[in-house]
Amino acid sequence: MRLPYRPPPTPETTGDTALEIRGLRVEFSEPGHASATPAVDGLDLTVRRGEIVALVGESGSGKTMTALSAIGLLPPGARVTGGRITLGEEDLATLPPKRMNRVRGHRLAMLFQQPKAMLDPTCTVGSQVAEPLRLHRGLSRRQARARVVELLRDVGIPEPERRASAYAHQLSGGMAQRVMIAAALAADPAMMIADEPTTALDATVQAQILRLLRHKQRESGMAVLLITHDLTIVTSIADRVAVMYAGRVVEEGSVREVFDAPEHPYTRALLKASLLQSEEGKLFAIPGSATQSRALDHGCRFQPRCPLSQDLGIAGRCSGAEPPLHTCGGEHRCRCWASEHGTELRGEAVGV
Amino acid sequence: MVRFIVRRLLVLLITLLAVSAATFAIPYASGGDPVRTILRSRVSDQALDPSAIAALRSELGLDRPILVQYLSWLGRAVRGDFGMSFTSRTPVDQLLGTAIGVSGTLAVIAIGLAFLAALPLGTLAAMRPGKRVDNGVTLLTQSFVAVPEYWLAPILVLVFSRYLGWLPSAGWRDPTSIILPALTLALRPMAYFTQVTRAAMSDVLASPYMTAARSRGLSGGQALLRHGLRNALLPVMTLFSLWFAGLLGGSVVVEVIFAIPGMGRLVYSAVVNHDVPLIQGGILCTVALAVLITTVTDLLYALINPAVRVRDGAV
Repeated sequence: MRLPYRPPPTPETTGDTALEIRGLRVEFSEPGHASATPAVDGLDLTVRRGEIVALVGESGSGKTMTALSAIGLLPPGARVTGGRITLGEEDLATLPPKRMNRVRGHRLAMLFQQPKAMLDPTCTVGSQVAEPLRLHRGLSRRQARARVVELLRDVGIPEPERRASAYAHQLSGGMAQRVMIAAALAADPAMMIADEPTTALDATVQAQILRLLRHKQRESGMAVLLITHDLTIVTSIADRVAVMYAGRVVEEGSVREVFDAPEHPYTRALLKASLLQSEEGKLFAIPGSATQSRALDHGCRFQPRCPLSQDLGIAGRCSGAEPPLHTCGGEHRCRCWASEHGTELRGEAVGV
Repeated sequence: MVRFIVRRLLVLLITLLAVSAATFAIPYASGGDPVRTILRSRVSDQALDPSAIAALRSELGLDRPILVQYLSWLGRAVRGDFGMSFTSRTPVDQLLGTAIGVSGTLAVIAIGLAFLAALPLGTLAAMRPGKRVDNGVTLLTQSFVAVPEYWLAPILVLVFSRYLGWLPSAGWRDPTSIILPALTLALRPMAYFTQVTRAAMSDVLASPYMTAARSRGLSGGQALLRHGLRNALLPVMTLFSLWFAGLLGGSVVVEVIFAIPGMGRLVYSAVVNHDVPLIQGGILCTVALAVLITTVTDLLYALINPAVRVRDGAV
């Protein structure tokens, strides 16, 4: 039996919300199988206007499925089976396809992981950047062309007039991602989802693209949901962070709150496994795999891999019921029984 | 792009030269003496007069060294002069001209039909993989591939000419007489085109740039037209040019069944009659057309897919 969905207690539905996801559930249905595996299972997430929220978690935690369900482009076989995705006044999860076409690239734009593969090899990059202008801004072919050159210049592409008629194979990965950013910004969206936008790029190019993204976000005041597994990126550009595990958020808060004082054992393990906290010459790996947690239908998803649960002697409780997302100071919230029990419990285990 | 075209044209020229030598050699390699064959067809007396053989041989220029014969033949062939047909005593280029016109018309219509049917069918199947449309299209095309022309043609004639009486059963003068042979010829390429379109389109539909296009606000249909078709057409074009070139050479079976004066029948009868100039001219024209079409397709391919130009060092 699954726990019924419990809405979080904090009042967030104020006027400054850009994107609000409540109880999102995404399931894969394999043909011939009656049972469906949820990729996202009761996810809550809020992105306010003008902020960058990072969604982190290891592969298979449901980050990309969350992004694709927001923009309504889930792969065949996957679909949203519950929850709301609110952008402005509309629920994107139930919006009819025709109206969804008006949202994509207009009010909600997206960046992807492999920028070169994201460009049609047979069309000039300029014509692809022009598409949102023609579709959503009603620009003529000539007006769009002129605007494309400005957009390309704005994202730091040298010789934008010439590059507008280049093809994807003539661009480097970094240049291609700049083109994708220009296309995403073309219709001046209020919200952008960036799914691992720098993962496929060189380290130096990565930094340039992130700086550009931050700059553009500040300039336009749009909200950004940045999906990444790289915690160094989170500290360099995000305002808030949400940690995702097995289809739900297990910890969230401002980047300082979460990274300086992580509450959830999974977040701590992630930090320990990242370059931010690695001991010299050593990289920590979290024992077990996330697939162990998928099969669980009760209790904390992380329990099978959790070091704390055993140490504190609360394994029974952890496997019995899933902890709620409770507030642990300010905006900082965490889904862990040990954290809810307070410091005295942890003190016993760690302090001895 | 100019360098690319020049390179392709050079390759075309070399290919044609090689083909011309091979073509010229075919009648000699196949044995049999054309001079004797011709004389036998003219004189009822089976014991041929040696002086008559020698006279005809020198008249036809067949007594010269073979290299001289080849070069003089090539020199004239370049100007479109393939000599006189041994059997009908008509210039070969005239015979070929009318026959190519007939086979060409038939090929264009048949391939056009095949292409127009295959594009929507293949796309439809790719858009609904594993669904009823897809299974239906797969079943049909797989059976059509196995349908031989000599079986399909009589069935079509029986149904549309004999029982329904809508269309003429044979001939070429009446414009409606082209319909049945065109349908016969179109069926198999249509089946192949559909299968290739389906495969190419499934790849394209699952490609990242289609998702990216949708993320900019294009509807499914718009993304398909703007980004899907061009990319899916590339593999179809290659097959298209091969089939088109093949059909230009004429189809012996269909031309015989429907009594059509095309290339297939002309060259076939030339072979039977040992009509050397006609065989040489016919084969050279067919191959030249095929090579030309392949080259044009390569150029079109490069026009649609700019990455090809770069790979071949042309930009």
